[in-house]
Amino acid sequence: MVIIAVPSNGNGGLNEQMNPRFGRCPSFTFVTVENNEIKEVKAVPNHAADAMGGAGIQAAQIVGNNSANEVIVGSLGPNAAQSLSSLKLKIYQAPNQPISVKEVINLYLEHKLQLITSANVSSHYGMGRGGGMGGGRGMGGGRGMGRQNRSPF
Amino acid sequence: MAKIICITGGKGGTGKTLIAVNLATLFKNHGFNVLLVDGDVENPNTYLLMNGKLENSSEVSFFEPKIDEHKCTKCGLCAENCISHALLYIKDAIPIPILNVCSGCKLCYKICPTEAIIADSRVIGLIYSTKVNNIDLLIGELKPSEARSAVIVKALMEKIDILLNDKHEKYDVIIFDTAPGAHCDVEELIQRADYVIPVTEPTRFGRLDLLRIIELIDLLNKEYRVIVNRSSLLGFRDQFLNELNDNDIQVLGDIPLDEDIVKSYCIGVPLMDNHSRFDTQGKGYKSFQIIYENLAKWSGIKT
Repeated sequence: MVIIAVPSNGNGGLNEQMNPRFGRCPSFTFVTVENNEIKEVKAVPNHAADAMGGAGIQAAQIVGNNSANEVIVGSLGPNAAQSLSSLKLKIYQAPNQPISVKEVINLYLEHKLQLITSANVSSHYGMGRGGGMGGGRGMGGGRGMGRQNRSPF
Repeated sequence: MAKIICITGGKGGTGKTLIAVNLATLFKNHGFNVLLVDGDVENPNTYLLMNGKLENSSEVSFFEPKIDEHKCTKCGLCAENCISHALLYIKDAIPIPILNVCSGCKLCYKICPTEAIIADSRVIGLIYSTKVNNIDLLIGELKPSEARSAVIVKALMEKIDILLNDKHEKYDVIIFDTAPGAHCDVEELIQRADYVIPVTEPTRFGRLDLLRIIELIDLLNKEYRVIVNRSSLLGFRDQFLNELNDNDIQVLGDIPLDEDIVKSYCIGVPLMDNHSRFDTQGKGYKSFQIIYENLAKWSGIKT
């Protein structure tokens, strides 16, 4: 028997979309798998989602406290990666596309997910972007003059 | 009581170190006891401009929680109270320190009911104290890959406090050379200063970063006067000085582009050193003399 944690949207559950961010996903869906079949599904809210800092560590704590052995992630920050590794959890990489919890678990059952061992994004990645699926690292724009109060400088 | 003058400036490469070293040299030439403090702990290089060496080092340590597994009752109190969430705690397991987020506050160490947290530490930087050309030099250095530069700056400040509280305290002038930027390391140094001198240059980069550092200086309620370095660059001197004037920004002086300055920079002999053989009628030399006069007047440090 193995318990897999999946960062999920909303209140979590098999039919919910997977959330690409580990530390700041709204919920975790814990899926118990035995003999390559789903036995049990449990969803837990992620109270670290809005943390100022250390969300990855607190999220790892939730994952650990719910006895997960493995976790599937989209993006994984350095503190979360270190925390999950110190808990000796196996970390699988989800495909970089919108996907439901059920679909990603199916990929897992078909052995189509790759194991990863370290962070794949930097700290606070994806914050303040409304958390849509799918990566895309935009080219930052913005000109702006700034500090107009000191002009005509 | 020693007066503290802080040489700063938002932008990198404006000549903070050059000016700090030459002002220190000028004060020394006038018979003052000078302490020069290199507070750019990520790139300490003031000593290079004086042909000095890094010597007499002392270590700066940073707290690291270590858990005594025999004493730990796995209660989780430490993790629960850690503001930085630097202790990863799974129920009925020994907490795991995540050191790169630890702020070093030692709360875990203080509150553990079974004293299972050992106050371990690692060396994150060094402080050197040396003397070159009769100028005492205090240099802070953060080890590469370490993040907590403010800890080194704080250690420098503690060292200065010890020096100043010594009844044999002998300094007339203390000059700080800060890192570029308007971050906490720079803030710590400005906070301690009596007079602040932001160094800038007549470019858009210089202008923008000057306004940022002035914002910080204003927040800290400190008196400041600006030095415009490379003022003859592309003929913008007068325009730039006028703009500063229009914005009620006081100027201590300006330093034009000058070959002697470049030479002194390259050979590591301060331009204003008595034993240097630079032309005392050179425009760089003269501009430093004017700045010194203005600074002596402003700060009241006089012979």
